[in-house]
Amino acid sequence: MLDTIIELLKSSGADAWELTDTQTERWEFYFIRHQLDQNRTVKTEHLSARVYRKTEDGMLGSASFEIAPSLSEAELKQLIDAFVENAGYVRNQPFELNRPAAQTEEQEALPSIERIAQDFIEVMRQLPETAGEDINSYEIFTSLKTARFLNSNGIDVTSVYPSSMIEVVVNARKEAHEIELYRMYESGTCDREGLKREITRVMHYGRDRLEAVSTPVMGPTAVLFSTDACLEIYRYFADGVNAENICRGVSQMKKGQPIASEFSGDRITLRTVRSLPNSSANAAFDAEGAPVHDMTLIREGIPMQYWGSEQYRSYLGEQDSFLAENFIAEGGTCSEEQLRAGRYLEIVEFSDFQVSSLNGDIFGEIRLGYLHDGSRSMIVTGGSVSGSMADFVKEMRMSSAQCQYDSWLVPALTRLENVRITGIAG
Amino acid sequence: MKAPFSEYLKSLKPGLKQLVSILSGHYEYVSVLASDSAGFRIIISQHAKSISNQTLTTERGIVIRVMKDGLYSEVSLDSFDPARAEEAAASVQKDIEQQIAMLKASGTEVYHTGRLADEPAELFAEMETVQLPEKADLQSLISDLTALSNDAMKRSSDLIDFRIAAQSTHICKLFLTAHRDLAESYVYSEGAVAPIGVRGQRNEMSYQAVSGLAGPELFAQLKDHALESIRIVEELLSADRIVPGEYDIITSPEVSGLIAHEAFGHGVEMDMFVKNRALGKEYIGRRVGSDRVTMHEGARCAVNVTSYAFDDEGVMAGDVTEIDHGILKTGICDALSAARLGIQPTGNGKRENFEHKAYTRMTNTIFDSGTDRLEDMIASIQHGYLLRGMQSGMEDPKHWGIQCIIERGYEIRDGKLTGKVVTPIVMTGYVPDLLGSVSMVSGDREVFGSGACGKGHKEWVKVADGGPYLKAKARLG
Repeated sequence: MLDTIIELLKSSGADAWELTDTQTERWEFYFIRHQLDQNRTVKTEHLSARVYRKTEDGMLGSASFEIAPSLSEAELKQLIDAFVENAGYVRNQPFELNRPAAQTEEQEALPSIERIAQDFIEVMRQLPETAGEDINSYEIFTSLKTARFLNSNGIDVTSVYPSSMIEVVVNARKEAHEIELYRMYESGTCDREGLKREITRVMHYGRDRLEAVSTPVMGPTAVLFSTDACLEIYRYFADGVNAENICRGVSQMKKGQPIASEFSGDRITLRTVRSLPNSSANAAFDAEGAPVHDMTLIREGIPMQYWGSEQYRSYLGEQDSFLAENFIAEGGTCSEEQLRAGRYLEIVEFSDFQVSSLNGDIFGEIRLGYLHDGSRSMIVTGGSVSGSMADFVKEMRMSSAQCQYDSWLVPALTRLENVRITGIAG
Repeated sequence: MKAPFSEYLKSLKPGLKQLVSILSGHYEYVSVLASDSAGFRIIISQHAKSISNQTLTTERGIVIRVMKDGLYSEVSLDSFDPARAEEAAASVQKDIEQQIAMLKASGTEVYHTGRLADEPAELFAEMETVQLPEKADLQSLISDLTALSNDAMKRSSDLIDFRIAAQSTHICKLFLTAHRDLAESYVYSEGAVAPIGVRGQRNEMSYQAVSGLAGPELFAQLKDHALESIRIVEELLSADRIVPGEYDIITSPEVSGLIAHEAFGHGVEMDMFVKNRALGKEYIGRRVGSDRVTMHEGARCAVNVTSYAFDDEGVMAGDVTEIDHGILKTGICDALSAARLGIQPTGNGKRENFEHKAYTRMTNTIFDSGTDRLEDMIASIQHGYLLRGMQSGMEDPKHWGIQCIIERGYEIRDGKLTGKVVTPIVMTGYVPDLLGSVSMVSGDREVFGSGACGKGHKEWVKVADGGPYLKAKARLG
């Protein structure tokens, strides 16, 4: 079918086109406790195309469409013709599509989908469950994907990669009181040891939550992030140097200009890289066929390079960039001991911690935190945090030690000062 | 006009019936859900425009569900040749057996579930619409929306963009078992205007949406929201931060809907009862809110984006009274969870699309109206906030915590709005405390269907929620 689509695109009258063919085989297993609730297989091919038309006024029109694999050739032609026409109605500033690059995909040997699934199933039975902490339920998703991208400039690249996800619900109980903690882990294949370590840590948090008291009312307080909630903070910086956000004025970051007027903490350095160990986003080419390579986006608090789609990069004159997926936030200057000094609230469970890429506002309900004050420590729950990254970035401090969450390698500890805490108990 | 049922699905039907028949010789239960849903999505911005034929719910594919020895298994496929049903049946069996062999080798035990009911039923529902997305005049629509965005930009020097989204989807689904033959076709649409303003180093965005069980004709209503959205973004640009604390609040219908969704929407999804993940299981028949709180949930209890005729497991749409004058009556339930709990399903088994598992999911989740007037509600507050605009929420069915991110609050002092605006607002609390504090309920109500809902952090489906103005007490930060 792909050959037919390519021929129809070539003869469609479109001035340019792009085509992506993603074939997925996915196995899914749903467990209640350790009993199998349901098993599923998914076999799909997603074909998506974008066609471009140059207009008389010098603009570039485009239209995107998904092509169902079950379409007949006549239906295909009708669909492509309709979207070539639609492209004429959507006029944007012109830009160049990516061109072929010398880079090649280095294909690693992949385990079978059966092997990956079996690894997840086995590791979930090897957790240190007790009468007090155990696994409520989990859902395992393992996929092998083959993604081929072609465009009218002659790019024709294929990536074959595994993509996995496991959702885990942990229970902890004391007498009649039972609590739960939720986690979702993404990766390439199954990192057995890493998963076991992470879930064991969550079980420990479960024990602590049973002892938690209401978060006290307090003034602005330092907050320490020691779990994957910190990714929202680092995504804020990545979004800040995203070409679309720059073009739309959503981000006010500018190359060469520090992201804060003053720094008394660590200055962030953010890089994007071609690959990270067992990341679900390792590929030699991005979704638009641009070669992926290592690149510094922000160095010591100063934006260096924008990343994003070919359209918005083109508007900014960014030639050698791409749609970044793997990121590294370099470690800061602080030891764990320095970051754990004084009075601070370490929050390890939020209901949904968010940082707005529009204005840096942060918000999140506290589900489990540790309020440290010198040698004293109190386990707390409830209430919320708020404030703005625009203020926090000046004094943000990061550990030199790093840890990886799928496609992000970030400082293991991140400390924000003077965060507004809405407490409950007087 | 009637939204016509998919010719493609009609062409598959004989082959799918044969597939069900063949597989029924090997399995204790067999069903097939086939989907063919077309649509479009248009984005207009001052910086770029786009059009595509993909929305959250566009899809074409089938999912086959079978049960043997108490285990339900599913196979999702993106194509099916009705002339080769026997081949497809053999492939389905092979795929399932391959998984089961691996599971047996690893010593996996099965959570045994009984056979689903398969009472005979036939339905062919083509719902009313004015326009179809497939037939929409996209050129005119793009031109009109571009003009709306351009005109809006002239209304305020603070604006850096005036973004508009418009999407419309024609849903067609066919559900078959040995005894059930259900087909439905309906159109829903949703649109939004989102101006972005900048003053100095401060960025703010407002979001005003329209939605309904309607075709692209709905987008004409966006014009009515443009000026209001600009006024709001200007308010946000000069808004203050709230001083954290507990306040008397009045929630607008949009915020009431968010509370309904997060509080006792997720809290009574009964697949969570099966896993002992919801506190609601222990509170059926007990008080969870004040006398003034009554809440309904179901595809039939409102007409909006998710008002289907039957769910993704072939169960007819319902209308459940979840809370009646403060007493928790029941929850909502998908078919498999109902079989496990020994109750009747409520028509709430939904999938993100044919590639995904069915879970218990919300449809329309709505607080009932009362008899109070908004003016009286404001007059009754010494110091508090009228909360408007929702951004997001998060459920916590096990502990009944609630997190709602609200766009803005209007200060009330001594029974009057002071003109002071605060943003953003994090509302948190314990659900029974929040609902227990509801002391006044307005006589009007609205339903909003512009959002999508995840289960945990995945499985996105369309939902609608709403209600009247509610007066309550809540912790704001």
